[in-house]
Amino acid sequence: MFETGPILRALMRNKVGAILIALQIAVTMTIIVNSIFIIMERKELMARESGMDEANSFYIRSSGFAKDFNNQVTVQEDLAMIRGLPGVVDAIQVNAIPISGGGWSMGLQTKPGDDQDGVGVAVYMVDEHGTNTFDVDVIAGQDFNASDIIWRDGDRNDWPDQILITKAMAEDLYPDEDYRNAVGKTVYINRNEPIIIKGIIDKLQAPWIGWNGLERVMLVPQLMDFSAYRYLVRTEPGQRDIIMPKVEEMLASSNKGRIVRELRSMQETRDRSYRRHSAMINILTTVMVILTIVTALGIVGLASFSVNRRKKQIGTRRALGATQGAILRYFMLENFMISTVGVMVGAALTVGLNMWLMQAFELSRIDWYLIPVGMVVLWLVGQIAVLGPAKRAAAIPPAIATRNV
Amino acid sequence: MLSMNNVKKIFRTDLVETHALNDFNLQVDEGEFVAVTGPSGSGKTTFLNIAGLLETFESGTYMLDGKDVSKLNDNQRSVLRNQKIGFIFQSFNLIPDLSLFDNVDVPLRYRGFNAAERKQRIEQSLEMVGLANRMKHLPSQLSGGQQQRVAIARALAGEPRFLLADEPTGNLDTKMAHSVMELLQEINQKGTTIVMVTHDATLAAQAARNIYVRDGRVSELHDVSAMPEAVNS
Repeated sequence: MFETGPILRALMRNKVGAILIALQIAVTMTIIVNSIFIIMERKELMARESGMDEANSFYIRSSGFAKDFNNQVTVQEDLAMIRGLPGVVDAIQVNAIPISGGGWSMGLQTKPGDDQDGVGVAVYMVDEHGTNTFDVDVIAGQDFNASDIIWRDGDRNDWPDQILITKAMAEDLYPDEDYRNAVGKTVYINRNEPIIIKGIIDKLQAPWIGWNGLERVMLVPQLMDFSAYRYLVRTEPGQRDIIMPKVEEMLASSNKGRIVRELRSMQETRDRSYRRHSAMINILTTVMVILTIVTALGIVGLASFSVNRRKKQIGTRRALGATQGAILRYFMLENFMISTVGVMVGAALTVGLNMWLMQAFELSRIDWYLIPVGMVVLWLVGQIAVLGPAKRAAAIPPAIATRNV
Repeated sequence: MLSMNNVKKIFRTDLVETHALNDFNLQVDEGEFVAVTGPSGSGKTTFLNIAGLLETFESGTYMLDGKDVSKLNDNQRSVLRNQKIGFIFQSFNLIPDLSLFDNVDVPLRYRGFNAAERKQRIEQSLEMVGLANRMKHLPSQLSGGQQQRVAIARALAGEPRFLLADEPTGNLDTKMAHSVMELLQEINQKGTTIVMVTHDATLAAQAARNIYVRDGRVSELHDVSAMPEAVNS
């Protein structure tokens, strides 16, 4: 037999403690549900694949400083050496690294002219080993071959005749067409310079993880005749950590006219790029855990106080025929009713906070199912927290009813 | 109705053993009004707790309405208590946050009656104690005598066979005490067995039979004036 009515009426006569706990539950639910939503969004962002073979890739920067430092010769020798190392799948010279935070971008137009809108795109300068090193597939058109590759020096700003673009870039350039139709089409860079799309690659991310065009990428068939650049190396599975120091040592010793630095795995690059996201997740998780514990302790405190204050009353109920189960049920139900008010208010506050976050920080609308999940979680927290005090109440002997002190 | 034979109750601590009841023997027949008296520490309250199934005992037998209660577990004792026994406490033991209606409702809910039956019983019993017009009031809005009347209504609402009263007038002035005693006698005349624990000789004199408890044993008195001074005073 549930005592919903009498409990409710008794609570209405002693509102303060119950209201405070209900508010605490509401605030906890509001923060927890919105935090979980933010964490889910962040995790979703962190789970996006770059398109590369991240687990087996690393890069290293070479900066020539000697007066007689020959860029072109050095690059060709370096690449030949690296590619020849056992355990290396492929390697390229590259101007920027996906998801690293720094790179080049340009705009591509489907029509020439200063009055045309362009679509922003990240630029990776690669040779014919680019797709293999990045571990991306050409899903339409053709890959670069050796004869496509040209040298670009620091003084020239012209672009080659052909590029590869990602499927996402093709879809943004030609939103009304199948991405395959982009192959062979001419696009314009620097407003008027024509380039032909030679092929489409499946997926590769830009260097900037916060950019809304993250998957808009073009591969340009150019080697850089610059003094500073990076080599990106892809190894056989499990070989990365063995090969990384070997490449560093080899580059450092093969040419004393340069500095070799920034040896970094793609895994480390990902960790560094998403460090703020990870930190945010850790902070929110900590806040959620602390809030949940504080709320649970609040419930334990209120219930314990209530049990101590009502010892005689509980003994009287036992004397009047309440079983231990009935006393346990009484306190569990009382908490459930307080929690219900808390989670109802919490549901409204959750939506309110989410609406504010949407306006202030451009967050997405909260997934509706998180609200009932949050309610159930807070109900459970309440029931678990009250279980101890409720058991203590149930253990109060009925004989206490006849004691007059 | 109530039959205790050689009931023994011992309270143990690390240092001492207290024999609260020693070969306690008592028979109470259906419809009787028995007063149990005795000096402080004589075992009156222990007897009341055991008779009311609020405490267990070490040895002996206790038959309540023909049922041996010594083998019952806590749940079974709660159910039997609810069905057979009505309690009246010295300090009324009303629940301060509940209205008179909800207070009388407490044992009825444990009994499992449906809402309509509970309502009828609550109204009847409050009517009987003259407080039907104050059902929505809280205990704190009543005098002590009225609160004890509510407690009596609560004890009677489930129509128990047996009423246990623990110093029912101990917290009341003479006028109110008299009114409560009249009510108890009226209830007894309608057939309910009453066992009342009291140290008040005048009150005990109003019961049909007096039991004197000393050192955890029973000695029956038929003449209240023969009660020892400690109790009589």
